[in-house]
Amino acid sequence: MVSQRHKELFRDDIRSRGTRLSAADREKILSPYLPDPADLPRRAPQRRRKVSRKTPIRSFLKLQLNLLTYAFIHILFGIVTRVFQSYHAVVDRIFAIIYYHHRTPELIRKDVKSLKRLPEHLSVILSLRKEDDALAILMDEVAELAAWTVSSGIPVLSVYEKTGVLKSCIPILHQIIRSKLSSYYGTLAQQPTLQLFAPHHPIYNQQQSRAPSNRQNAATLTVLLLSATDGRETFVDLTKTLAEMSQSGKLLPEDITLELVDAEISEITTQPTTTMSAEGATRGSNQMISTVKPEPDLLLIFGPFLKLDGYPPWHIRLTEMFCTGGRSSRIASSDEAVEYHGFLRGLWHYAGAQMRFGR
Amino acid sequence: MSTSISRFRKWLLASPPIEFALSQLRDLLVGALRQGPMPQHIAFVMDGNRRFARSHGIETVEGHNLGFEALARILEVCYKSGVKVVTIYAFSIENFKRSKFEVDALMEMARVKLSQMAQHGEILDRYGARVRVLGRLDLLRPDVLAAVNRAVDMTSNNGDCVLNICFPYTSRDEITSAIRDTVTEYTTPLPSTRASSTSPRTPFSETHIAQNIRAQAQGTKVEDLPSDTETASASSGEGGGPKPDHPNRVYENGSSFSSSSTLHLAGQQQQQPQDKTPTSSEPGAVPNKDSPVFMSPETITRQTLDEHLLTHDNPPLDLLVRTSGVERLSDFLLWQCHENTEIVFLDILWPDFDLWHFLPVLIGWQRRISKSKKNPDAEGNFDGIEASDSAEEVTPTSNDKVKDL
Repeated sequence: MVSQRHKELFRDDIRSRGTRLSAADREKILSPYLPDPADLPRRAPQRRRKVSRKTPIRSFLKLQLNLLTYAFIHILFGIVTRVFQSYHAVVDRIFAIIYYHHRTPELIRKDVKSLKRLPEHLSVILSLRKEDDALAILMDEVAELAAWTVSSGIPVLSVYEKTGVLKSCIPILHQIIRSKLSSYYGTLAQQPTLQLFAPHHPIYNQQQSRAPSNRQNAATLTVLLLSATDGRETFVDLTKTLAEMSQSGKLLPEDITLELVDAEISEITTQPTTTMSAEGATRGSNQMISTVKPEPDLLLIFGPFLKLDGYPPWHIRLTEMFCTGGRSSRIASSDEAVEYHGFLRGLWHYAGAQMRFGR
Repeated sequence: MSTSISRFRKWLLASPPIEFALSQLRDLLVGALRQGPMPQHIAFVMDGNRRFARSHGIETVEGHNLGFEALARILEVCYKSGVKVVTIYAFSIENFKRSKFEVDALMEMARVKLSQMAQHGEILDRYGARVRVLGRLDLLRPDVLAAVNRAVDMTSNNGDCVLNICFPYTSRDEITSAIRDTVTEYTTPLPSTRASSTSPRTPFSETHIAQNIRAQAQGTKVEDLPSDTETASASSGEGGGPKPDHPNRVYENGSSFSSSSTLHLAGQQQQQPQDKTPTSSEPGAVPNKDSPVFMSPETITRQTLDEHLLTHDNPPLDLLVRTSGVERLSDFLLWQCHENTEIVFLDILWPDFDLWHFLPVLIGWQRRISKSKKNPDAEGNFDGIEASDSAEEVTPTSNDKVKDL
């Protein structure tokens, strides 16, 4: 630690733009803070051996002291985190009782009504568990999240799951979300319009052609499924294509700009390839494809700590991140449950944050 | 009243015995941290200098200076506790949009610091410290750029502790450059000699066989060609393969029979002007026969892109810390941190940041790593493990205690 006196000298030097002190002066100030050159492992092996022979007991004691301190601070830290976890577990239960959606969209809307702003594009990171019915649980979580999202008035939800298992069962997932929505909203006509798609998969909105003009709910929800292959692999694919084009002379490497990459990468998540509906693909494909804002405003991580785990990197530049498990309980299980109050806390947090571009 | 208390506190903390005790405590804590696994690569977003200045009623520039002091404190902690690489976000490309006064002041600060550092080359060498500046150096003022280059060059041979300064940097720009560099690399034709001397696929030439057949049909013997090597290389050149066919190549091959080194050199010299042909956007001008050999784009992997990033020779990022409670990445190391990095947002302004705030983060990281080592299915990565192996052997009991909690 630098002593106050030296700090003052140093600050004076800065104020005069580095002119007051000469290089030798600075080295003199610095020298007490530099580690002993004899401690360096590589540079002076002979000297080090001599030193360690000189004070074997002292260095041994020092090591033991360090190990003891290490154990001590970890034990202390463990106790403190446990206390905090227990405290938050209790608080979370209370929150879960106070704020419960009761499968009523009006209640959810009331919970978010006071918020200053809402994300236009909400993104969540979910993880597949290890139990047998993991996929069923995951799909139910997605359906719940979809219902909460649309009830709180957010038009776009993207769900990231690393393995991409959700993408392989889009029709089933669509059905599950539908039935969840019907338990929230009632009949088909009162439900919001739902479209579900994944990059490189055709858009799936089987129901919309059947839902006729008597739709009473004008809200729409677009659910976008992402997986780890939409991250780095997408960039690899893009680079491959660009390299091929460049090799055949269709493009100069100098033509590759940030804007081009941005446009290409964004296209994958915003433009569903074709509309696939069960009966009549031509009908309604024009007004249904709403453009999705590619950059999520809020990223909710349902996990014990904040780790992106392969989430597509390009669009999270200005995304607010919120980790529900950062302060809550992990006593019951190692996996974070997707709960309504966690979702709500994320939205509150987002509303409280201030938005500034460029740090 | 509160000011006098804070003044008393300051006086107390600055008094020699307290100062000594605090520095001993710091040393002890850092030494203790060393005993566990340590992240190999930490990134910091030094946010909050301006807000600190505003809330303390000092000038913005002064806030940045205090931020620099905080950086020095944290770097000391990091390197002493065994972190190899520290990456800091010093200046974003977006920051050029700030007031000219502030940008100039920041640039001036960087210039002074870097040139001061260059005066202490010997000390930097002694400790193996290495400074690198990542980002769009072409956007810098010439005098700042000169200071940057001097500092980077002087320390380029060290490598024990690396400090990456992201100077005018955004991650999107970095990713784009990585893609562009990869494409440029794959658009550069392979050295032609490598193709001809190591092509086992076309040891025979169609024209030669045709000649033979014709000769057999005519009942006469084919005249012998001067040497085997020349036949092979000359024929593979004209064998319809996708290699560049230079008029002087046959001569080169003939004159320097099998000395591959000269062939290689000749090939590389020829390759220089060749670079431009495929990118000249007039493919019609290049005859089909001359189409150069490229690396297949299918061989591009994530690894390829990784190697073209600015951080390609650093260990993977283990921990990213952002201060001042802003919870987004602001275009910093997106590619590096989106997989196994733990991201921590701290609600404290950067000039206040010190070991005391950093310690819980590090201990939490160590706990998670020890846990994930115990249970490999759990989250976490296994990079900073080497150090912990020895520590665990020495004190199995203490670590077990830690895990039990």
